[in-house]
Amino acid sequence: MRAYILRRLAQAVVVVWAVTTIMFVMFRVMPADPTAVLMERGMTDAARETLIAQWGLSGSLWDQYLRYMGNLLRGDFGSSFFYRKPVWEVLWPLIGNTLWIAVPGLLLGAFAGAALGMLVGWSKRGGKIERGGIFLATIIRGAPSFVIGIALLTVFSSTLGWFPGFGMGDPGPTQGFARYLTLDFLHHLALPLIAVIIYFLPENLLLMRSGVVENRTEDYIELVRAKGVPSSRVAWHAARNSLLPLITWLFPALAETIAGIVVIEIVFSWPGVGRELVLAVTRQDYPLAQAAFFLLAVMIVLANLAADLTYGKLDPRVVYK
Amino acid sequence: MTALQDLNARLAQKPAARLEVKNLCVAYGTFRGPFNAIDNVSFTVEPGTTLGLVGESGCGKSTVVKAIMNLLPEATTVTGDVLLNGKNILGLSDKALQQVRWTQISLITQSAMNSLDPVLCIGDQIVESILAHEKIPYGLAWARAAEMFAVVGLPAARLREFPHQFSGGMRQRAVIAMALSLNAGMLLADEPTTALDPIMQDQIMTRIRGIHEHLRRSMILVTHDIAVVSETCETTAVMYAGKLVESGATADVLQRPRHPYTMGLQNAFPKLPVRGTSRQPLISIPGTVPNLLMPPRGCRFASRCPFAAALCHAEQPELIQSSDGHAVACHFAERAPEFRLAARQAETWRAKEAAI
Repeated sequence: MRAYILRRLAQAVVVVWAVTTIMFVMFRVMPADPTAVLMERGMTDAARETLIAQWGLSGSLWDQYLRYMGNLLRGDFGSSFFYRKPVWEVLWPLIGNTLWIAVPGLLLGAFAGAALGMLVGWSKRGGKIERGGIFLATIIRGAPSFVIGIALLTVFSSTLGWFPGFGMGDPGPTQGFARYLTLDFLHHLALPLIAVIIYFLPENLLLMRSGVVENRTEDYIELVRAKGVPSSRVAWHAARNSLLPLITWLFPALAETIAGIVVIEIVFSWPGVGRELVLAVTRQDYPLAQAAFFLLAVMIVLANLAADLTYGKLDPRVVYK
Repeated sequence: MTALQDLNARLAQKPAARLEVKNLCVAYGTFRGPFNAIDNVSFTVEPGTTLGLVGESGCGKSTVVKAIMNLLPEATTVTGDVLLNGKNILGLSDKALQQVRWTQISLITQSAMNSLDPVLCIGDQIVESILAHEKIPYGLAWARAAEMFAVVGLPAARLREFPHQFSGGMRQRAVIAMALSLNAGMLLADEPTTALDPIMQDQIMTRIRGIHEHLRRSMILVTHDIAVVSETCETTAVMYAGKLVESGATADVLQRPRHPYTMGLQNAFPKLPVRGTSRQPLISIPGTVPNLLMPPRGCRFASRCPFAAALCHAEQPELIQSSDGHAVACHFAERAPEFRLAARQAETWRAKEAAI
């Protein structure tokens, strides 16, 4: 088990290194010049050269790469071209903002999706619940996340006026962590959170449903029924076995959905990592964009590892070697 | 007296059950109309005895068992009566059915391979069956499960293992242990040895016979192995294409069969060669089972029967019981001795095969 985790971690390092390298090269072969976007007009050539050297854009690509990797190993992501301060200082507060909508949203989406999927899967085949459930889930699954966001904004913000339409809070005296504990924050959180839940729920529902439908005709379910246990307990057996494929999919999907939350952050003007990532790419802010992608890569790799380890806990047939 | 002895003593007091199946009919709904899997089947299992239910694959043996347990899919139409100790258990409410299942009637399933939940340890699956009906602590239920494991010859330590860690024979024994957990008065064994190799089959059947002698439960043993029936069962019922064609005391049915199908079935099983006699060849019954979506008007076996006459194709024979309890559904049951002699000749069946 320990050897397995160590080997997987070693693989993870290789994957993250590869992603980092690809990102590094991609930004530098893009036909665009960050200096053109970010430098002030009328700057002297000498000042310009100094700035380019400061940004680490002087020398050959190979020199730049070695310098970048060396800094990365020391935990230094460099400085944002746009904000003129270390990338870490820019990203750190944003990570928290993203987690506020991502973690509760994904957890609630996964749990509600699995619970509803079990209900739909256990309902009468071809009945109203099954047909209605699949229909709704497929429609929502098919809709891009910005459509969900815009629909929510149109109904609950513009038309009904129940929730604010953008941002994370009204301007006010509360600062620092305390601002996360205000009703105003929760009021702003509601719509983007609901959007994430709705975005993530249908796929969980459909996967769980197909698992339960498959399992409910298995021989072991018949024997469980014959034992005279309540039907909710019979459904539990089917659901417990359906969790296995769901988990395989869930963790990598979590990481991918965090990336997908980018769109929701933009629709709701939520100041998170995803929104900053998009802005950084359009501003040619290499260090910031590369750091954001680095974070996503680490999250996806760790999520895959977590999925494999959880799978072993849930399925006794899985052995780690 | 410990709590476990107390529980064991209480469960041991359960009497063996009497099961009476009357006019059982099962129809599966299909796109091409109802499929009459079981047509008017009646039999009785007296307390403490074993009934062997035999017939070839697809004749409805397992459907009978599932109908008795109320395990058939919702879209199935089941009519008739299943009287367990005089009380009809067909069409009970879910709640009432839950209370009958496993406390009074338990099941040894056909394929032990897939009959256990793959992600729960076997001990917990047995405990689940006990705790569903007994208000006792988990530890006590586990102790009872360990005792049932001992009855089937498995070490208690292996209760913690999962189904994939067991061999096929061990899984089958675990399923038997589970069926015994509440000492139900009626055991339904649905082809308990089908998926096993011959040596394991023999071991399991010896085990079942030992348990039967020891606990004296009533039992229905579904099998297509006539040798197993002759060794284990007091009474035998033979099914063909969803109908009961012959039933009675095992010795009567197997040694003096009155239905041509039973005669044919016997020919299809290998017998140990007796010194001094010629080796008997295996003779198979020609033809195939009729399509039950369009059942024939007359006797369902008529198309494969070497003795069939015009009457057989026109009219269904009734199951008629003679004074010795031997029942047969054949228009020409009184000519059985003559048929038996002819049925031993491979030529009789080959002629029929040529005619088909």
